[in-house]
Amino acid sequence: MKRPSTLTAYAFLYLVFLYLPVLFLPLFSFNSGTIVAFPIKGWTLDWYRKLGEQDTLIQALWNSLGVGTVVAILSTALGLFAARAFVRYRFRGQRAAEGLVMLPLVIPGIIVASSMLVLFLFLGLKPSLLTVVLGHTFLALPFSVSILKSAFDDFDASLEEASYDLGVGVFETFRRVTLPVVSPGIVASMLVTFTVSFDEFVLAFFLSGNQPTLPVYIWSQIRFPAKLPNVLALGSILLLTSVLLLVLAEYFRRRSSTSEVR
Amino acid sequence: MTDRNIIELRDVEKRYGTFVAAGGINLDLKEGEFFSLLGPSGCGKTTVLRMIAGFQEPTKGTVLIDGQDMEGVPANNRPTNMVFQSYAIFPHLNVGNNVAYGLRGKAPMAEIDQRVAEALEMVELGGLQDRGASELSGGQRQRVALARALIMRPKVLLLDEPLSALDKKLREQMQFEMRNLQQSLGITFVMVTHDQYEAMTMSDRIGVMFNGRLKQVDTPTTLYARPCDQQVASFIGEMNILPAQLLGETGDTLSIDAVAFGQMEIQRNPNVTTSSREMNIGIRPEQLEITAEEPEDYPSTVQGTVSNVAFYGENIHYHIQVAETEKPISVSVPNYFHTVDFKRGDAVWLGLQGASVIDLGTDTE
Repeated sequence: MKRPSTLTAYAFLYLVFLYLPVLFLPLFSFNSGTIVAFPIKGWTLDWYRKLGEQDTLIQALWNSLGVGTVVAILSTALGLFAARAFVRYRFRGQRAAEGLVMLPLVIPGIIVASSMLVLFLFLGLKPSLLTVVLGHTFLALPFSVSILKSAFDDFDASLEEASYDLGVGVFETFRRVTLPVVSPGIVASMLVTFTVSFDEFVLAFFLSGNQPTLPVYIWSQIRFPAKLPNVLALGSILLLTSVLLLVLAEYFRRRSSTSEVR
Repeated sequence: MTDRNIIELRDVEKRYGTFVAAGGINLDLKEGEFFSLLGPSGCGKTTVLRMIAGFQEPTKGTVLIDGQDMEGVPANNRPTNMVFQSYAIFPHLNVGNNVAYGLRGKAPMAEIDQRVAEALEMVELGGLQDRGASELSGGQRQRVALARALIMRPKVLLLDEPLSALDKKLREQMQFEMRNLQQSLGITFVMVTHDQYEAMTMSDRIGVMFNGRLKQVDTPTTLYARPCDQQVASFIGEMNILPAQLLGETGDTLSIDAVAFGQMEIQRNPNVTTSSREMNIGIRPEQLEITAEEPEDYPSTVQGTVSNVAFYGENIHYHIQVAETEKPISVSVPNYFHTVDFKRGDAVWLGLQGASVIDLGTDTE
């Protein structure tokens, strides 16, 4: 079928507008010159090679990986119980509760970040990776709740009843039926929340103190023009990793909603 | 079937706020009985089943299983097992592990394997232990659900609309299979269904429910021939209901004057009360004879016009409009010689024997 050509052109421009800026990142990361501008002087992999030699970068990477992992576990665990309650039970204030859990998606990050900093200082918590973890968990919770809610939506409530009926108690039922059946949703949630934390800048900037996460480290390097190509290389790797993680998460999310035969 | 009560419901009620989902339920189920709770959707039959299973606690009354009061006993500690409407096959486990689920950790591995094999053999799925849950057909899922419940050797097996997800042919086949299984095991089956034919073909006794109330508990034949009121009469099979006047009674014989059919003698129905001269009678469509000329061997006859013909294959259903009633009278005739004798607009005679007329008493509602 032949489509109207103007519509095709519009769709093409749309995608260019969305993704061209992002594509400059990997493109210039292979440029041998240090100035980020056309024409490209020559092709090199040097910037990628040099990444491994920078100790502060490696430290920041470890910080980010650590924070991301803890955030993924925390927010998914919290989201699991919230999602089950939202889908399974009808209770007073349910809509309000669901709305409040989703709120971090729309509150401006800078507001959350500054108020959290004030709160943590008030509580005597020095900015550190711990405060970043707490902030990121707050931010990642809506993602984990919405992914797990869709996993529980497709979960036939009589599966748990069947387990009780067969003489198995509440906790063992959770372990032997609930967890395995929603496990693809759990994996998807952990991947997404990890990515949310790994890529987050504003909160981490406010709350990380002298333990920078990777995005905070990158920001600090952008001020030095000589380091810029290096940052581009690092950014390209992060970009690729994030996309891969999200694709993987989407795969698991879909598996969770099709694994149930209705 | 023995005379021992395996389940006793004493004045059981389940209330949600002001809504009574089920109320005033008194019921004794015998050991080894196949009992069905029959009623339209929303009548409370599933609520009663779930109170026996332990998924819902009654707001009032007592549930006794094998003489034990079940108050505060959770589902996992009751000697009942359930086949769910959706079958609730664990999607992450294969057939063998689904069936073994309730025995895991409670019996030695070898014994479990042995019992799983036996249970699968019993539901004619022998050797399918390794089949994945998603590879099963509807009928196979139903059998796995049965095996998974029966392997626990329950005192009572509860079935929630077990056949509603199957197509018609398979459903009829499973009706016989489940009845045979129940007879050979001698376990009490309690089934919830909205399908009157399913209830009648499988059950020793049926409890008919409307609006949260248990209206009548009887054998299928008694329910069909001696319903307790018009509602039950019309729910179990089709029924022509006609007003009549009570003329006199001698013993169990009532002398009446019925609209359209005139005077006749009918049997008293002990399940209803006749509190005035005004009463109703019920006539099953298959109890009427339809002829072109006035039939001689029927004491009560009436003339009418065919207003509708429906060909069902094994039966032919006619609607006959008579002068004396507003609603046409339904008649069902077996298809004897592959002929449909009458067409719309034909003038016909209906013949009736007093013995096949059902006394519906004076409706109190």
